Amino acid sequence: MTVLNPATQTPACHTLWDAPKKASVCVVQLLAGLNPQVVNRLYEMGLEPGQTLLCLGRGPFNGPLIVQIQDCVYTLEQQVAEHILIEPQL
Amino acid sequence: MKKIVLVGKPNSGKSLLFNQLTGLRQKVANYPGVTVELKSGRFAQFELIDYPGAYSLSSLSRDEEIAVSKLRDALQDPDTALVICNLDATRLESSLMFGLQVQALARQQQKALVFALNMADELQRFGHQLDTAALSAALGSPVYAISAKTLLGIHEFRQGVLALAEQAEPAAPALNHGDEQALRDLSRRLSRQYGLTASLVLKNQNRIDTFMLNSLSGGLAFLAVMFLLFQSIFTLAAPFMDAVEAGIGALALWVTGFIGEGTTSDFLNDAIFGGVGSFLVFVPQIMMLTLIIGLLEDSGYLARAALICHRPLSYFGLSGRSFIPYLSGHACAIPAIMAARTIESPRKRLITMMTIPLMACSARLPVYALLISVLIPERAYLGGLVNLQGVAFFGLYLMGIVIALLVSLMLSRFVVSKDEKSDMPFILELPNYRLPHWKPLIVRVFSAAKSFVYRSGPVIFAVTVLIWLFGYFPHNAGGLEHSYLGQIGHFIEPVFEPLGLDWRYGVAILMSFLAREVFVGALGTLFGIDGADENIAGLAANIQADGLTLGAGVGLLLFYVVALQCVATVATIRAETGSNRIAAGLVIGYGLLAYALAYLAANLL
Repeated sequence: MTVLNPATQTPACHTLWDAPKKASVCVVQLLAGLNPQVVNRLYEMGLEPGQTLLCLGRGPFNGPLIVQIQDCVYTLEQQVAEHILIEPQL
Repeated sequence: MKKIVLVGKPNSGKSLLFNQLTGLRQKVANYPGVTVELKSGRFAQFELIDYPGAYSLSSLSRDEEIAVSKLRDALQDPDTALVICNLDATRLESSLMFGLQVQALARQQQKALVFALNMADELQRFGHQLDTAALSAALGSPVYAISAKTLLGIHEFRQGVLALAEQAEPAAPALNHGDEQALRDLSRRLSRQYGLTASLVLKNQNRIDTFMLNSLSGGLAFLAVMFLLFQSIFTLAAPFMDAVEAGIGALALWVTGFIGEGTTSDFLNDAIFGGVGSFLVFVPQIMMLTLIIGLLEDSGYLARAALICHRPLSYFGLSGRSFIPYLSGHACAIPAIMAARTIESPRKRLITMMTIPLMACSARLPVYALLISVLIPERAYLGGLVNLQGVAFFGLYLMGIVIALLVSLMLSRFVVSKDEKSDMPFILELPNYRLPHWKPLIVRVFSAAKSFVYRSGPVIFAVTVLIWLFGYFPHNAGGLEHSYLGQIGHFIEPVFEPLGLDWRYGVAILMSFLAREVFVGALGTLFGIDGADENIAGLAANIQADGLTLGAGVGLLLFYVVALQCVATVATIRAETGSNRIAAGLVIGYGLLAYALAYLAANLL
């Protein structure tokens, strides 16, 4: 997997943080800048390139993101969600 | 005794399984700073040890790190006969990865492993039949579908586990499934083949969350839950506190009736029943708070509360996970500081630990109660709905939280964690909403009470005995004023004079640096009322008659809101941070701030 720099990301892709509510999206890649331990945990949770997930919305007051990954619901803060490149699920 | 190790992910019914296998008798080993809570109990001829839940064997937070390293130690122990890996049967996809990791670890140490797929009753409700034989063949370890709640399959599970653990020969090592990537692929394949569809499992949960996590309804629900929580700490615990108080009073009367008047009787009445008794009164309150927090946690709401608070708390340099320690800090700072281990970011964890002592813990309660009844008239407004003293109480609680947030904000600007790069983001699983089971809750409530008594009891006993001795002797020398305590008091009086307080308050404050609740008992002894602790109203009238000014009284309240006066808390902070400097710095820093606020109040009001 090649890891892109946030500065060089292609405009066609969005980060998970920008994903609309109720959208089903596919993980493209995790951007550089995340702690390797965190990346490992995200992989274990199912946030691996090629996996699909469902964006359920935001916490109150524009809070952390709420996503359904596999059979679990997680909340991720902006800093993490912005490092996950996604594309809409066809 | 041979051991059986129980591991599993959080929210998968592990504690209940442990209780069902061992009964309600269990030992809890909790060494601050060294390890997380390890529960052990007797299961047939084996010792069953319950390891804290972990999401993964590669840890993110301090509590996971310790849990995982303890688990590794246990697997190396030749006495460990078997590992039980407890997983959520309704969520194979997210559980199997952890299960496979544990299996690989068990294989390295040549230990046999059994999978317990818990909450199988919910599978039945969805009409899903789990093929345990096929799954077991694919995993290479026995698989049991059970429910610790309805006891479904528990009998077979118990027999199977015991048969395997009793084998003299080490069981055949489990299959080798390959590296991490291979494990991830395998867990995904197996869960698709054998598990439930995610949308089915999550349907209810997501529907409730639409309401609970909505900005308006979720915010209101959060406020309602918090209001009920604090309300019930006071109202529901009150009859039990009264009962304890009455019980101690009756016991005191009964015991001293045998002895008759004299020094022994004075000692028992003032030091033992008065001093130690006054602190036992708070045990019901701590139990009530533990019960409610336990209910919130086991029902799944606490994770939502942390999510709701994340955004507002991040503004002050804290994490959503700081919410739970802050909440338990209102019962006692010590378990709260230990609960801060779940905060993934070392920096936010440190800031949380440093500000927890500002939460109005139950030891402050008697001090607030006494001073409020001295200073604030008992007046009700709006037809009894709003009580002036109640408002004052609420104000003091709120003030603690506000000061904690301000200190956090300041610390987050200045404190630089040793390893800035290791700062971990906020990632939290939202578990399913479930009706809590009473068994683990009851165990938790009683172990909280027990550890509170065992930890604070000796200190409070020692202090009350000491105060009494110094205050009582030299006997007949002309009262308290001329006792050793009086002499010490007059020596330190200049420190407290600028606050408008005389030597008796000085002695009480000084003593309460051991534990805040000592203040009321000490002041009671000093004002010469027997059993003053149990009669706050009487002591309050005496203080009023003695002429405590409003400024000095308010200053005293502010002092108690801020000052870090609890030896046990300081020791816990020292152990958890591993730093004498932080612990000492907090005592001095909060002490100076408290003194400054009290000085301002005494001289401006």
